[in-house]
Amino acid sequence: MVQLVGSLRKELADSLSTCKVLVVGAGGIGCELLKNLVLTGFKNIEVIDLDTIDVSNLNRQFLFQKKHVGKSKAQVAKESALEFCPTANITAYHDSIMNPDYNVEFFRKFVLVMNALDNRAARNHVNRMCLAADIPLIESGTAGYLGQVTVIKKGMTECYECQPKPSQKTFPGCTIRNTPSEPIHCIVWSKYLFNQLFGEEDADQEVSPDTADPEAEWNPEETAARATASEKDGDIKRVSTKDWARSTGYDSIKLFNKLFKDDIMYLLTMDKLWKKRKAPIPLDWQQLENSSCPQEDSTGSGLKDQQVLGVWGQCQLFQHSVETLRSQLQEKGEGAQLVWDKDDAPAMDFVTAAANLRMYIFSMNMKSRFDVKSMAGNIIPAIATTNAVIAGLIVLEGLKILSGQMESCCTIFLNKCPNLRKKLLIPCVLDPPSANCYVCASKPEVTVKLNIHKTTVLSLQDRILKERFGMVAPDVQIEDGKGTILISSEEGETEANNSKFLSDFGIRNCSRLQADDFLQDYTLLVNVLHTEELERDVEFEVVGEAPDKAPPPQANPDEVNSITNGNKESAQPSTSSKAKEDDLMVVDSDDEGASSSSAAATGATKRKHSDAETAETSIKRLRKDQSATPTDDDDDEDDIIELD
Amino acid sequence: MIEKEDPVISEEEAAQYDRQIRLWGLDAQKRLRGSRVLLAGSGGLGAEVAKNLILAGVKGLTLLDHEQVSEESCRAQFLVPVTAQGQNRAQASLERAQNLNPMVEVHADSDRIEDKPDDFFLQFDAVCLTGCSRDLMVRVDQLCSQHNIKVFCGDVYGYYGYMFCNLGQEHSYVEEKPKLVKPSENSNDGPEPKKAKVDPNETVMVKKMASFCSLKEALEVDWTGEKAKACLKRTPVDYFLLHVMLKFRTDKGRDPGPLSFAEDSHLLKQIRDDVLGAMGVSSDLLSDCFVSHCFSEMSPVCAVVGGVLGQEIVKALSQRDTPHRNFFFFDGRKGNGVVDYFGSK
Ligand SMILES: [Zn+2]
Repeated sequence: MVQLVGSLRKELADSLSTCKVLVVGAGGIGCELLKNLVLTGFKNIEVIDLDTIDVSNLNRQFLFQKKHVGKSKAQVAKESALEFCPTANITAYHDSIMNPDYNVEFFRKFVLVMNALDNRAARNHVNRMCLAADIPLIESGTAGYLGQVTVIKKGMTECYECQPKPSQKTFPGCTIRNTPSEPIHCIVWSKYLFNQLFGEEDADQEVSPDTADPEAEWNPEETAARATASEKDGDIKRVSTKDWARSTGYDSIKLFNKLFKDDIMYLLTMDKLWKKRKAPIPLDWQQLENSSCPQEDSTGSGLKDQQVLGVWGQCQLFQHSVETLRSQLQEKGEGAQLVWDKDDAPAMDFVTAAANLRMYIFSMNMKSRFDVKSMAGNIIPAIATTNAVIAGLIVLEGLKILSGQMESCCTIFLNKCPNLRKKLLIPCVLDPPSANCYVCASKPEVTVKLNIHKTTVLSLQDRILKERFGMVAPDVQIEDGKGTILISSEEGETEANNSKFLSDFGIRNCSRLQADDFLQDYTLLVNVLHTEELERDVEFEVVGEAPDKAPPPQANPDEVNSITNGNKESAQPSTSSKAKEDDLMVVDSDDEGASSSSAAATGATKRKHSDAETAETSIKRLRKDQSATPTDDDDDEDDIIELD
Repeated sequence: MIEKEDPVISEEEAAQYDRQIRLWGLDAQKRLRGSRVLLAGSGGLGAEVAKNLILAGVKGLTLLDHEQVSEESCRAQFLVPVTAQGQNRAQASLERAQNLNPMVEVHADSDRIEDKPDDFFLQFDAVCLTGCSRDLMVRVDQLCSQHNIKVFCGDVYGYYGYMFCNLGQEHSYVEEKPKLVKPSENSNDGPEPKKAKVDPNETVMVKKMASFCSLKEALEVDWTGEKAKACLKRTPVDYFLLHVMLKFRTDKGRDPGPLSFAEDSHLLKQIRDDVLGAMGVSSDLLSDCFVSHCFSEMSPVCAVVGGVLGQEIVKALSQRDTPHRNFFFFDGRKGNGVVDYFGSK
């Protein structure tokens, strides 16, 4: 005789009350998930999140109130969830799941792990930990109205990394430095400028005119004579932007004239660039000041953030923010650096002003601070309802797993509009593991094209093994018969190698490197292909993948924010405070591009689903052809395996 | 109604609602901020809808429920404290509901909805009915649509749940579309042939209209005609399941209870045969296995249905984005969520 506890069979209800589960992330999805778990009858729950509560979380992370701002998400979420079910046993960790304390043994304590994360680095890591521990993982993500849930089980399904994710958006250096054509190019430029002036200088974040732009076919020496700006530029070039700025005492008018007048005039001398483009128009501080009216117009009403300032308003904002940032820097003392944060008012003001002035110079419509913040901060809009739906689906998949019905698990997409089969929630079959996956294959292996004379050991470690292949602390040895140790995860052992080139260690074309990550219990064999012919700005290429390129523009702002601007800092395998909030995988979730922000989650790039109807696809579409909404697609034969 | 005021969004609200204003825009948020909603039924689904609307930032939400807190009726009810057994469900939910967002006026009303006079409903911009009888829903739907009040109904039965909405015969809304731009001489595209293209950075608001039928009409679809029979294959079986569950509620004055599983499951099969028979469709449409999965409100199912329902109310009040016409059905065993239209087009 069937016996029910609530909606559940008694046997299932009993097993819920004894099993232990892990929730990774206590943001938008995590809060909803904790509520659903305790109300469904789960009693033993551990939750981990290293983030603290921000006021912008409160529109959806309903376990938090204004009085909790600044406190640990995991801790407050635990306390609030306990009120729903005081007999539950909840453990909260205010920590990063990538901390080595959470090793394979830790993961083995659980019958089920549920991700409620917002960034690709942490998702990659938990994926590997669950594979290593052989624990089923439910992965999830939301972006605006869109969401996805999927189940990952070693040997049965694709893992999170089976399908290559669309790589992070980067823009060619010369587009940023010489020929911006969209607001985002100016915004990226101004964030680089912030770092060049006030933050950590990065050679990859140059902001001055790029004289080596292949399109310019331009020889600076030959044309130097007619370059009115070249003299001043010559002065500036020998020192770094920061040293120069410092030498002026961060004089905002001098900075302005260099950035928005002299550099632009220099660009104008690269005349080939402007044959098919509208040429930029240099700005002059004095002229603008003279011609400005005291009550300058701004457009957009209501909230200050939503107004678009006029040019002189931007100039004043620039001046004011430079002055504030200068004194912040001074207060911090010699050698101090500022870190850009979208929620830091002067930093955000600076980027708004600098980006808008550049947009103006390049004949683009200027944007409100609100809109610049979306793009600069890589903010993914997020609402309570989408997270609620996705968290509900996670628990339903979890119940299947705990009932021993893994085979009936599926991946489910939440769309904004129903597809032509009337489905708003679309369950699809799970794919088997990919035989070539560089993570879950029995002997993971990749081939990387790089220049052995130009790639440093540090770059191999940071850019390739950590950033691209998601390792946390790699050990690398060369398969040269001697087992030469190239990189050791033990501090101090191989630092001396960092700045040397791979060729210095006898690495040649077709050399093989063995990279191990002890924490992830993961070994990757890297085949090196030497090449001299990588494109500009490309450090390496993984064979079988297209090199990172600037993405095409997208259209629908609803979804667009979620996938714009993979910014640089986002690439760090951080679940640092930079890597915010809950959600997403289809597109990563909330806030600033914790890397991946553009990163798709499970299956987000599945070729199988490349057709019309999934959330994933709608996002991909946006990337590709900038037009479609999910319902615009036709209902042609496709090879999505939709479940009825 | 909604247009009667144009509330100003404060900087404080802008900070709290930032992530959703970035999704649906300031105008939608303003309309939401001027809207009052009646939510009948403070069970598991009611709690989810309440949470979603309060977080979204409506002007006012009234929780109307005359029932008392019991273990079974509050299994998925996170707004009711565990110490509130025996209290009125709406009143017991008030404190936590209010704490979700102090900027929303939340009220509790412990009257029976059946006893409320017509006038009562007219103070709201939208009415959402959960846990109500079919007759009551039909009455309120009729009344509200005469007064241009948006009507929503929803319920969760174990692994299953549904939502219905009637936004009136002429619901106008806007949708954001990418802007088409005619290239000008000054564009950066060079001398290539000129044709309109999508500007990735600009969008326009397009005005649209959708039409809805009454709940009565949506529930009284005639399935006997040849044409209707042909449609049957593409009709979600959940529609018929809903009829069965509503009939059970009408007959017993309650929903199936886990403690009377044997008796209720037997009755459910019988009602299934009767109801489908009376509609002129085969009772094979709805196989027996629904019976053991339609008991009690299941929390994750409330979350899914309450999420979709809550978002539809937000869309309707903010007059933003295409509404789902006019039913949403969720089957938590399959993870399937279908939107389908019933009634005259
Ligand atoms: Zn894999």
